[in-house]
Amino acid sequence: MPRIHLGSWAETAVDWLQSHLGGLFGAVNTVLSGLYDGVNAVLGAPDALLMAGILAVVAWWLRGLAAAVLAFAGLALIDSFGLWDEAMSTLSLVLVASLITLVTAVPLGVWAARNAAVSRTLRPVLDVMQTMPAFVYLIPGVMFFSIGPIPGLIATIVFSMPPGVRMTELGIRQVDEELVEAARAFGTQPRHILTRVQLPLALPTIMAGVNQVIMLALSMVVIAGMAGAGGLGESVYAAVTQVDIGGGVESGLAVVVLAMYLDRMTGALSRRVSPLGRRASAKAARSASGAATVLRHRPGTAVATVGVVVLALVAGGMRLTGGGGDRESVAAGQNVGQGRTVKLGYFPWDEAVASTYLWQNVLERRGYRPDVKQLDPGPLYTALAQGQMDVQFDSWLPTTHQQYMDRYRDKLTDLGAWYGPTSLELTVPSYMKDVNSLADLKGKAGQFGGRIVGIEASAGMMGKLNDTVLKEYGLDGEYKVVSSSTSTMLAELDRALKKKEPVVTTLWSPHWAYGTYDLKKLEDPKGAWGKGEEIHAVGKKDFARDFPQIASWVKDFRMSEKDLSSLEAEIQKGGKGKEKQSAGRWLDAHPGLVDKLAPVSG
Amino acid sequence: MSRLTAEHLYKVFGRRPEAAVERLKGGAGRDELRADGAMPAVIDASFEVEAGQIFVVMGLSGSGKSTLLRMLNGLLEPTAGRVLYDGRDLTGLAPAELREVRSRGISMVFQHFALFPHRTVLDNAAYGLEVRGVPREERRERAAEALELVGLSGWDASWPDELSGGMQQRVGLARALATDADLLLMDESFSALDPLIRRDMQDQLLHLQKQLKKTIVFITHDLNEAMRLGDRIAVMRDGRIVQNGTAEDILVRPANDYVASFIQDVDRSRVLTAGAVMDPAAGPAPEGAATVAADTPLADLFAPLAKDDGPVTVADEHGEPAGVVTRDAVLAALGEQPAEVTAHA
Repeated sequence: MPRIHLGSWAETAVDWLQSHLGGLFGAVNTVLSGLYDGVNAVLGAPDALLMAGILAVVAWWLRGLAAAVLAFAGLALIDSFGLWDEAMSTLSLVLVASLITLVTAVPLGVWAARNAAVSRTLRPVLDVMQTMPAFVYLIPGVMFFSIGPIPGLIATIVFSMPPGVRMTELGIRQVDEELVEAARAFGTQPRHILTRVQLPLALPTIMAGVNQVIMLALSMVVIAGMAGAGGLGESVYAAVTQVDIGGGVESGLAVVVLAMYLDRMTGALSRRVSPLGRRASAKAARSASGAATVLRHRPGTAVATVGVVVLALVAGGMRLTGGGGDRESVAAGQNVGQGRTVKLGYFPWDEAVASTYLWQNVLERRGYRPDVKQLDPGPLYTALAQGQMDVQFDSWLPTTHQQYMDRYRDKLTDLGAWYGPTSLELTVPSYMKDVNSLADLKGKAGQFGGRIVGIEASAGMMGKLNDTVLKEYGLDGEYKVVSSSTSTMLAELDRALKKKEPVVTTLWSPHWAYGTYDLKKLEDPKGAWGKGEEIHAVGKKDFARDFPQIASWVKDFRMSEKDLSSLEAEIQKGGKGKEKQSAGRWLDAHPGLVDKLAPVSG
Repeated sequence: MSRLTAEHLYKVFGRRPEAAVERLKGGAGRDELRADGAMPAVIDASFEVEAGQIFVVMGLSGSGKSTLLRMLNGLLEPTAGRVLYDGRDLTGLAPAELREVRSRGISMVFQHFALFPHRTVLDNAAYGLEVRGVPREERRERAAEALELVGLSGWDASWPDELSGGMQQRVGLARALATDADLLLMDESFSALDPLIRRDMQDQLLHLQKQLKKTIVFITHDLNEAMRLGDRIAVMRDGRIVQNGTAEDILVRPANDYVASFIQDVDRSRVLTAGAVMDPAAGPAPEGAATVAADTPLADLFAPLAKDDGPVTVADEHGEPAGVVTRDAVLAALGEQPAEVTAHA
């Protein structure tokens, strides 16, 4: 069987599209961003509890008093977790994605129901859309549409489209053939057969499809959050990567609250809009009695509208009176940035978080508007190469991230190292008294269950461990390196430490784990891990041209292990979501540092 | 001129229908064509329906009667042949013109009622008028009249699934009547109802027909129903019309064994009439003997014949004596098997 180079064809196609249809992607990007920003502005504008109130009134109108109370409680819970803004941005993404999906899916479903050829053609396409892992097109999405909500939005639309189309088609096909014939027999025009008979009768099925679309959109939006779409997905991802169990549970719960709200509301809406559903609920209302009537009480549409409008007006009023600039003023002589936006990207490694938020504070005090975004390494390097990100601070060279540098050689600027040397190592808890160096591991496989807990299989250090280090010390037959993920590795380490079990894991310095746990780096007398790396700042190709001042500041940027660990500790202490304030506090505690990092001439 | 004429209608489903029609005209059989992937459903059907007549098409399932009915209003396009409605060829009409004919001239009543479950009884009855664009008030008024006609006044606001089967079919009938269409196509309209209700519905249809004088094509697989309702009956078998005549024609002179085998179960006393069995040549009945009209079913002669020993006088449409019916004649007619058919059997 000859090798079919489908993958490289796809790459060529993506390159071609990128260079030839840039305008189209730009236009799509503008439209989608506009929609998303608009919805997000509306949903995010009111005070959290007011917005929760508005959503609760909607629940009251659609489902009744009990639903409204529960909805308010759930939404208030999200606010108390401090995840309100993230939840609203997730909700906006879901609403925009669902809207676009439905506007496309329902007509496609109708078309497929009326035309067997269309139905046959669509089916495999829908299968691909539904089952192709989203990350496969998230990355090209980043290439076409830049970092931000849009690739996530597109992935969401692609993923949630199939049930919308399928359920619409099914619903229409399910309508009794005799009814369609009856409509024809009375001379109904084809389009009226659709609007007067098929669509009303298919509505319950179509609404089940709508519900599916919205739920799938929510699940995909959370995944897309990991590729820079923001919102609750980013919170979940950040919590997971930092082994922040509490944070993970909270953001996960926030997703659940949104999911339940959306599910129940679309369910109720489907009964509202379909004539048969209206009849069924009218019947149910007649037969209900006592407490059930109170719980199920629903205001009339007019009352509900008044409620929403009043709350919205209150929200608007509060914004007017409570508004006003909260931006720190920048002394005239230090305003180098003149409000220019600079996009800082980072992946959730501690030194990346620390350095990025440090520079965010510094740049803000110099009059820039730093825009900070968390991404995975892959998408981040891609975004830098595309010029959609300006700079990132956590490039481990010449090993860990060398593959990206090789790949985008001409499209990135190395702004120099600011920390080093780093080291890679195997680590054991300090209570493993008789294991001090790699050589000591020999013959102790039984103790460690023959396992070395590794991180992502794709990480450079995993390759080095398997190919060089284990062989050098004769451990390759004895130990098996279990690849997992950084967070899993840390969770395993945490678990073993609590039970005082033997464990050996891959780790690197600098790492906060050394400050948090009592660990011992295994010595490497043979130097098998090779020399340590340095952490570089890497900018986009034209970074030095676009931001000459910042480029020169970053080139002179250096940090000692002591400073870095105290900054990381400060950020760790401040907690998730407060990284910026924590870094600012740390900066304030080091007077003169801003001027040292970002000297202003004259 | 007849209101509705079918001229050599063919309907063939499946592969190469036109070629199949040519072969059928050339004498090829249905089974031969089936082997080649063509499915002849209706073969060379011709008939005429006069205004105000109930024309029944009787046949077992698969005989092609429903296909034939659907060609009459263009729901199915004939493979060959013409349908003339008031002299106008429906097969040549553009889709929009055809829809116009369906919304004004020809309406239809379905086997399983085909009521729209998302519309009230009144809105169902008003459907045809709504399609035609009749203003809301007027169409509701006319729909309410049609409902009253079928005995459903007061059920306007109900929903179809709240009604019994018979009532639902009355809504179906009201929907067909509301458009004032002259031609009603009824596709096994009473078959889904239980026997007592079916009989009520037949009576109601006959009663309505006396008032309204519609032209009706009625499909059924039940020969008793055909005999009760039909002014003329066409019997279909394997896509062909094998006999077309009055109930009496079919009963007394079945065209072949197939028709004869059907009529064995028919209640002859309700189909045969005094006029058909009377002896016109016999002298007048004795004074005081009962006089009946010529179209009286034999069943209604039992009582007067039992009362007196003598015959009953049959009067023509002018009330003049036309002949007499004796007990013997009635018994002979009821017991009779058509001679030539019996010979074959």
